[in-house]
Amino acid sequence: MKKRGIGIGSMYYGLGYGYSRPDIASATIELCEDGSVIVRTGTVDFGQGSDTLFCQIVAEELGVTPDNIQIVTPDTATTPDAGPTSASRVAYVGGNAVLNATLALKRTLNDVAESILGEKKLIFLNREVRAETSGKCISFTDLAKACHLRGVQIVETGWFNNTTDDVDPHTAQGDAYATYCWATQLAEVEVDTETGKVEVLRVVAAHDVGRALNPSMVEAQIEGGVVMGMGYALTEEIKQEKGYRGEISLGEYMIPTSLDVPSIESCIVEVPVPTGPYGAKGVGEPALIPTAPAILNAICDAIGIRITELPGNQKNLHRLIQEKEKKTMGSEN
Amino acid sequence: MQIDENKTPLRMRVNGRPVAVAVEPIWTLLRVLREELGLTGTKKGCEQGDCGACTVIMNGKAVNACLVLALQAESKEIETIEGLGTPDKLHPLQESFVKNGAVQCGFCTPGTLMSAAAFLRETPNPKIDEIKRAISGNLCRCTGYVKIIDAIGKASK
Amino acid sequence: MQNFSFHSPASLEDALTYLSDHAETCKIIAGGTDLIPNLRAEKLHPRHMLNVLELEELGGISETENMIRIGPTTTFTELIETTLINRFLPLLVKASSQVGGPQIRNRGTIGGNICTGSPAADVLPAVIALDGELELQSEKNGTRRIAASEAVQAPYNPNLEPDELLTGIFAHKLKPGTRCAYEKVAPRNAMARAFMNLSIVLYRDEEGVISDVRIVPGAMMALARRITVAEEVLAGKKPDKSLITKAAETLLGDLKGVWIPDYKIPVFRNIFKRLLGELLSES
Repeated sequence: MKKRGIGIGSMYYGLGYGYSRPDIASATIELCEDGSVIVRTGTVDFGQGSDTLFCQIVAEELGVTPDNIQIVTPDTATTPDAGPTSASRVAYVGGNAVLNATLALKRTLNDVAESILGEKKLIFLNREVRAETSGKCISFTDLAKACHLRGVQIVETGWFNNTTDDVDPHTAQGDAYATYCWATQLAEVEVDTETGKVEVLRVVAAHDVGRALNPSMVEAQIEGGVVMGMGYALTEEIKQEKGYRGEISLGEYMIPTSLDVPSIESCIVEVPVPTGPYGAKGVGEPALIPTAPAILNAICDAIGIRITELPGNQKNLHRLIQEKEKKTMGSEN
Repeated sequence: MQIDENKTPLRMRVNGRPVAVAVEPIWTLLRVLREELGLTGTKKGCEQGDCGACTVIMNGKAVNACLVLALQAESKEIETIEGLGTPDKLHPLQESFVKNGAVQCGFCTPGTLMSAAAFLRETPNPKIDEIKRAISGNLCRCTGYVKIIDAIGKASK
Repeated sequence: MQNFSFHSPASLEDALTYLSDHAETCKIIAGGTDLIPNLRAEKLHPRHMLNVLELEELGGISETENMIRIGPTTTFTELIETTLINRFLPLLVKASSQVGGPQIRNRGTIGGNICTGSPAADVLPAVIALDGELELQSEKNGTRRIAASEAVQAPYNPNLEPDELLTGIFAHKLKPGTRCAYEKVAPRNAMARAFMNLSIVLYRDEEGVISDVRIVPGAMMALARRITVAEEVLAGKKPDKSLITKAAETLLGDLKGVWIPDYKIPVFRNIFKRLLGELLSES
């Protein structure tokens, strides 16, 4: 028999390392004479899109386009330390570092532009700097040349320190993390009670990311995280015996294939956090945290069984179903 | 061709060009592509046919290069990711992948693109379930497949 | 990994001679989807490798009035796409569709699935359900035939002499109106070894009486075979729910040495009843 159920999982997640553990990022930005900009920072873009994100921050502030921005990451010889690329901290801590570096450069550029244009209240947009009232403008390239000729500071460093104070070891009260991410996911499943197999039909994932600086990338994180959470809940297992792990290959460790994935709907919720760059927080780990609880709750909704040990794979779930049936029959006698 | 006595000549066509290389019988096509021909776009994932990262097109069919003994590729037409498109002239699938956010770490991407390319040639107007099935031999950990399936669908239009 | 001599024979005769000359140290490769991982895992150490994949005599699908002949180097994709198979042996299409993923199906062959002798084979049980016959040839002893159910004597131990080559797979065309069903239970929906599979072939006459029924469970135990005691419960009868249940219990009673019985037996019972029920409810 196939039975359907719906479950909800909610989570909150402390972003960064917390508990007074060092959580710092730094970045440098350099203005080149031809109007291009080089950003150097130690963050690793392994596909999550941090290079793109930093590029967006620079483009947003300086009004330049991505093809004028070079992001150099990570290179221990030339890039300043941005801390590990982990803990869902890159947009918040790394992004703030890049933003701070960019704002420092922008202040200098602004001063020079003001003296050239003889106006205050300048807008950096579309590769030029324009006076709001009179419309007088200078191209970004010309401004860059002028800065070089004047010998002003055109390399800046930005820092962001996300380290918290820690909590009281006895009361656990205090300052664990600087900011938290919130999410709720809904899962609809279909349980085959005869085999113990669970099909996840649909997942709807609502994530408060503060501000989605790149909505497509946020969705991508959510989608990947949901499928990781699904594998974690239902099929992935590492066996250990006496401290040694068993044989693992991609043939034995079952991650979901394209034929296993549900339809996934991302709902991006934006409650800007004042300390984040443009209000942004993070989503990397939050993406997969509520999924297993949502799925397990959905299974419970469908067949009244609480899975308390992962994975809830076919063999394990089938055993639980059988045990429940025996108990039900036993109590009926 | 000077042949080492342990090696056998292999002649095949790769990305439209004839290729001659001396191989040891135990070598797989994957090894030849990556290490003898320097075509490292085809990735080494599991080397046992479980992940699809090494997918290439051989005589029109998507296959795991790790499961083809090099000498079995004699006289065959091999297409690798390097032949699908170039940075200056992306294949429509590659463009669609980039545009629709279907690439994260990129490790599964060459194999997935080759599976998709072979598939779209035979099924130019696919339904979503057909797309899912076409890439079911390509494991991806980053994307959850959502944008990949979307990108393939959009490229087919 | 130890190297070997690789030989692509020019003809079947050439292949049989090579095999005869190197019988004890030779492995035969077709699609390689099982062989190559085993080579890498150092489970095999052949000194000779006979590449039969290109041999014309081993490929192709042909028909006579009553029979279909399938070349052992036919890939799963070819089986799925060939009209003759879809028309006369649709069970093979269903079973082949469940193998691995597209890349595996493009390379893996029906001959390989039979001769590897894996107890979790996806397609061999279907061949057995079709009462398939295997043609084997060797240089010394010529041609012989065995039933597909005799193909494997023990897991990974095919019933072939070291100098024998599988040269043909034969099955009777299913009578029009015959229904087939195949189900595979596995940890995920692609790229997975089966926990179990089940092949059923069923023919009912105009009165709805079962006149031909064949049942082959796979991946349940070491070897796959038709469970004739269960078939006998159903044959000649008009089926109803209690008959299905009786067939199920008879079947399970006949299975010896089931692996992971606590899981496989109850699940198999459910799958069997469900699949048979679906087949019987189709008009």
